[in-house]
Amino acid sequence: MKTLLLAGIAIAAMCTASYAADTYVVGMKGPGAGNPFWAAVEAGAKAKGAELGVDVVVVAPPAESDVQAQITQIEDLIAQGVAGIALAPTDPNALAPVVDAAKAAGIPVVFIDTQGINEGVTFIGTNNAVGAALAADYMCKNLPQGSEVAILQGLVSQSTGQARAEGSKKGLTDCGLKVVAEQTAEWDRAKGLSVTENIITGNPNIKGIFGSNDNMALGAVEALKAAAKLQDVMVVGFDANPDAAKSILAGEMTASVAQAPENIGGFGVQALVDLKAGKTIEPVIDTGTVLVTKENAADYQ
Amino acid sequence: MPGSNPRLAKFLDSYGIVLVVVVMMLVLAAIKPEIFLKADNLTNILKQNASLALLALGMFVVIVTAGIDLSVGSTMGLAMVALAIASRAGVPWPLVLLVGPAIGLIVGWVNGIGLTWLRLPHPFIMTLGTLNIARGLTYLITNGAPVSGLQPEVRYLGQAYYGLGLAPPAGLPASLILVAICAIGLWFFLNKTSMGRHIFAIGGNPQAARVSGINVDKVLVIVYMICGCFAGLSGLLLAGRTDSGFPNAGIGVELDAIAAVIIGGASFFGGRGTVLGVLAGVLIMGILRNGLNINNVSAFWQQILIGMVIIIAVYIDVLRRQAATRH
Repeated sequence: MKTLLLAGIAIAAMCTASYAADTYVVGMKGPGAGNPFWAAVEAGAKAKGAELGVDVVVVAPPAESDVQAQITQIEDLIAQGVAGIALAPTDPNALAPVVDAAKAAGIPVVFIDTQGINEGVTFIGTNNAVGAALAADYMCKNLPQGSEVAILQGLVSQSTGQARAEGSKKGLTDCGLKVVAEQTAEWDRAKGLSVTENIITGNPNIKGIFGSNDNMALGAVEALKAAAKLQDVMVVGFDANPDAAKSILAGEMTASVAQAPENIGGFGVQALVDLKAGKTIEPVIDTGTVLVTKENAADYQ
Repeated sequence: MPGSNPRLAKFLDSYGIVLVVVVMMLVLAAIKPEIFLKADNLTNILKQNASLALLALGMFVVIVTAGIDLSVGSTMGLAMVALAIASRAGVPWPLVLLVGPAIGLIVGWVNGIGLTWLRLPHPFIMTLGTLNIARGLTYLITNGAPVSGLQPEVRYLGQAYYGLGLAPPAGLPASLILVAICAIGLWFFLNKTSMGRHIFAIGGNPQAARVSGINVDKVLVIVYMICGCFAGLSGLLLAGRTDSGFPNAGIGVELDAIAAVIIGGASFFGGRGTVLGVLAGVLIMGILRNGLNINNVSAFWQQILIGMVIIIAVYIDVLRRQAATRH
């Protein structure tokens, strides 16, 4: 009885969605439900699909760290012979073999959001170094020359973390600010708080903090509030998530950098349709970044 | 040396671990006196490790019974988002304060029931299950998005501190007082009540405990509920500190909690360990991280060093056991 039940569940699980050959698939890193970023990627992709009159299906592993689940998803998509895959790889190295397999099966592939390592695959996404430089530029214009600033890095083992760390550092140093601390807080709000506590203990004259994502920047805000230093220190984040937008409107965080996730989804689908039609596309397509301050933060809540 | 001075040996056995903390502090004070000894920095160490201390105290009770609870990090995350949602929904703050511990008690009860009624072979399995279930629930009820902006009263325990005339942000964190109350309460419970003695007895020799009439199943359920309750409280601290219930909170901290308990001298085979040792274990990890941070040692090295400390601490435990059996 138990075996039958289990077998039934297994078969039912296998019989879920199978896609037609003119379906374009967007493989995201994480589920769109509740994560505004991925929800916007999904919406952008769907809207572009409707505009072009093609079917768009969006898949994602249950969590951004679930590399294995994403590999399985892509393998299954290849087996179904979909028309094209726009993939945000959870781990570029781990996903490289399946991307090669898709290409070998004649399925067009582009990377969205996160660049993979496969040669000759177009990357469509935010230029994180440019975005971080935008934040750095804002800090430069609004802080006195020679001020001490700190960078909260994301995971520097990822390309996004690296690009934001390097882009911000270059921008801040080039315009004459003094970077006195660069530490990782692993994209995490609680770690952003702890790391900032340590930074302001060692560098009491700090005037600005760049958080490589808003979670860490919001952690920094909490640390500065507790130290009664928030009015002396400018905090700039990255992502312009709803919490950050609220904080900017409340006068706590000063600015953030918004990506254009709708473009990531939309441009991704467009590129696949172009590839399928035999057109050539640029190797890198920048989807753009926007500085978010008190003036426009209301749009990002 | 053992045997030559039994009093000294006993003292070292009980308080040796505290000496390690003192030595570490002296070393750091010698290397970086201008930063390490600053009141801000010492405050940082205390408040950054308060939630780990609560997790470790709960984990300690479980490890005394030769068990393990892998679900505490997920329980903490679930408690954080649940209390954040309750706080945002305008639930009166005294009730919001109870949400975290209540969630912890429920997860702990499920763990205990799974272990004793389902007769799963090892708590590793049941709590591995609830690790996933609680984390999944956390994502489910938040849709993966953080829930931020809590009532000030809810944040109090996690965020407030008493200045004592020091310049902010230095001071005595409210979270430290909660940790102290929990630690003293737990010490009293484990050492001065019959239930506490039963917990140690089960860890030392479950068969003997059963034969001597202890209701082992009942005690185990209570043990896992205590552990869960501490995890929920720890979530209350972290949510207060960060002003947010974020669904990724507490991923992997169960391993930090286990490490702190083991470094603090509790035996993985149950029946042995002290509350003081656990707190020392937490401080050793906290001071090690802080010392490496203020000396600008990379986070990657910190992980390597903490790994080595775990191995060395348990090796010392092995040596101590060998010495004990030779007598």
